[in-house]
Amino acid sequence: MVVICPKCKTRLKVAEEKLTAGGSRFKCPKCSTSLLVKKPAPATERPVDNVKIIVAHSNPAVMNEITSLLHDNGYHTVAASDGIEAMVKAVKELPFVAIVEVGLPKIFGFEVCKRLKGRPETKGMKFILVSSPYDKIRYRREPTSLYEADDYIEEHRIHDTLINSINVLKGAAPERQEEKVEKAPEKQLPQRPEPEPGPSQKTEQKPETRVIPQETMPKPAPDERIERAKRLARTIISDIYLYNIAKADASIKNDTFSSVFALELREGIKLYENRIAEEVRTQGDFFKDTLRAFIEKKKRSL
Amino acid sequence: MSFINYSSREINCKIVYYGPGLCGKTTNLQYIYRRTNPEQKGKLISLATETERTLFFDFLPLALGDIKGFKIRFHLYTVPGQVFYAASRKLILKGVDGVVFVADSQIERMESNLESFDDLKINLAEQGYELEKLPFTIQYNKRDLPNIVPVLDMDRFLNLGGTPWFEGVAVTGRGVFETLKAVAKQVLFELKKNY
Repeated sequence: MVVICPKCKTRLKVAEEKLTAGGSRFKCPKCSTSLLVKKPAPATERPVDNVKIIVAHSNPAVMNEITSLLHDNGYHTVAASDGIEAMVKAVKELPFVAIVEVGLPKIFGFEVCKRLKGRPETKGMKFILVSSPYDKIRYRREPTSLYEADDYIEEHRIHDTLINSINVLKGAAPERQEEKVEKAPEKQLPQRPEPEPGPSQKTEQKPETRVIPQETMPKPAPDERIERAKRLARTIISDIYLYNIAKADASIKNDTFSSVFALELREGIKLYENRIAEEVRTQGDFFKDTLRAFIEKKKRSL
Repeated sequence: MSFINYSSREINCKIVYYGPGLCGKTTNLQYIYRRTNPEQKGKLISLATETERTLFFDFLPLALGDIKGFKIRFHLYTVPGQVFYAASRKLILKGVDGVVFVADSQIERMESNLESFDDLKINLAEQGYELEKLPFTIQYNKRDLPNIVPVLDMDRFLNLGGTPWFEGVAVTGRGVFETLKAVAKQVLFELKKNY
C-alpha cells in the first residue's frame, strides 16, 4: 500500500498486512512526521445501470446517429464529446456499456477504456470502440489489440451491428465478471509493494497526523493540463524504451533502469520541465509516477 | 528559407522529415537515396553523436526543370526522433522550406505522434515560422502492420488544415516518392511566387 506524507508529500510503501484494526503509527523517514495509517476500506462497487449507455464521440453527426438508434431500442444515453468528459460521466453515471470513439479528443478512446477498466467502480463496464472505416480488410485490427475493449465497430456499420453488439455484451456480462473477480487477486499480487523494514513497529510519542492511504482516496477528475503532462512523460519514457529494448528489459529485470538510462532520463526531465507549466508540476510528480508505473508494468510482463 | 548559389546557378531548398521516434523518417530518406540517380545526388551523411542521429543528403531532380535559369537542389534532412532531443530538432528546422511529417500508424504510437506534432509546431513557432504557412505533407507510415489506426482517424488528429497526406510503407517504398513529390511541389510553388 502506498501512502503520502501530508507534510513532505513523500510516497511511502507500507505493508498492509502489518496494519492493525485501529491503524498503526510510524514515522516518515524523510521529515520525521508521525503518521497514523489505517487499512483501506474495501472498494465499494455500485451496480451499473442496465438501460444506461454512455456515448463518447467528438462528431455530433455520429453521436446523433448512435443516440437515436439507442433511444429507439429503449436505452437511455449519456453524451460526452471528449475523453475527460467521458471519464467523469462514466464514473458518475455508471452506465453498463460505454460506446467510445477510438480517437476521442483530450484522452484517446482506447485510453479511456483502459483506465476505466482499471478502476474498481467501473471495471464491470463493457466497452465498444468506434473507429472510422478501414480501407482494406487486411487492415482490421486484431482483437488482441483492442485495449481491453469488449467489442469494436466501424462508423459505417453502426446501424447494422451496434444493437447486436450490445445484446451480446448483455448476455456475456455475468460470466465475464466472475472470471475477472477470480483473476483479480492474482493480478494484484506483483503490484503489492514490499514491506518497509521496521517503520510500522516504531511507536512515536509525537503528535500524530492522519494520512489517507492513496488507494482509498477518490481519484480526482482528469484535468487536461495534467493529462498533457502525463502524455509527454509517457512519450519520453516509451522512446527511451523503444530505442533500447534489450538493454531496457535487462535493466528493468535488475532494477537498474533509472541508473542505466540516467542520461536519457535527465534529458527527458529537462524537456518535461521546459514544456509543462510549473503550476501543473507542483500538483504531482507525474514524470516519476509514469516512470514507476511503466517499470512495474514491464516487470510484470517480463 | 532557400538560398541561391550563383556560381552553380542553383536554388537550394531544405526539406525536413519530422516525426516521432522510429516512425520511418530514416527509412524514407534511405529509400529516396537508393532510388536517386548517382549523378544527381550528394553523399548520404549521418550526423551522429553517441545517442542521436540525423541523416542528410542533397539531390538535384532534373525533371523539375528550372526557375529563371536556376536549377533546384533539394537538401533532405531527418531529425532525431526521440522526443527529448528537442534542441537538435529545433536546430535542424532552421531555414526550412518544407516539412514532411511521418506519422507512425500503430495505435500504440498515437500519443507519440501527437507529441511530436505539438513539438514541431512549438519548434517552428520559436523560430518565427507557422506550420500553416509552410509547404507541408503528412505520411501515415507503416500501413502494412495489423495494429494500425484508420487513416481517417489519424487525419482527424494530425491534419487540421486539409494538408495533403499519403499512406506509406517506407520499407517497401510505398508512398515515399508520392510524399516527397507533394512537398516538393509546394516548395516550388512558393519559390515561383517569391523569385
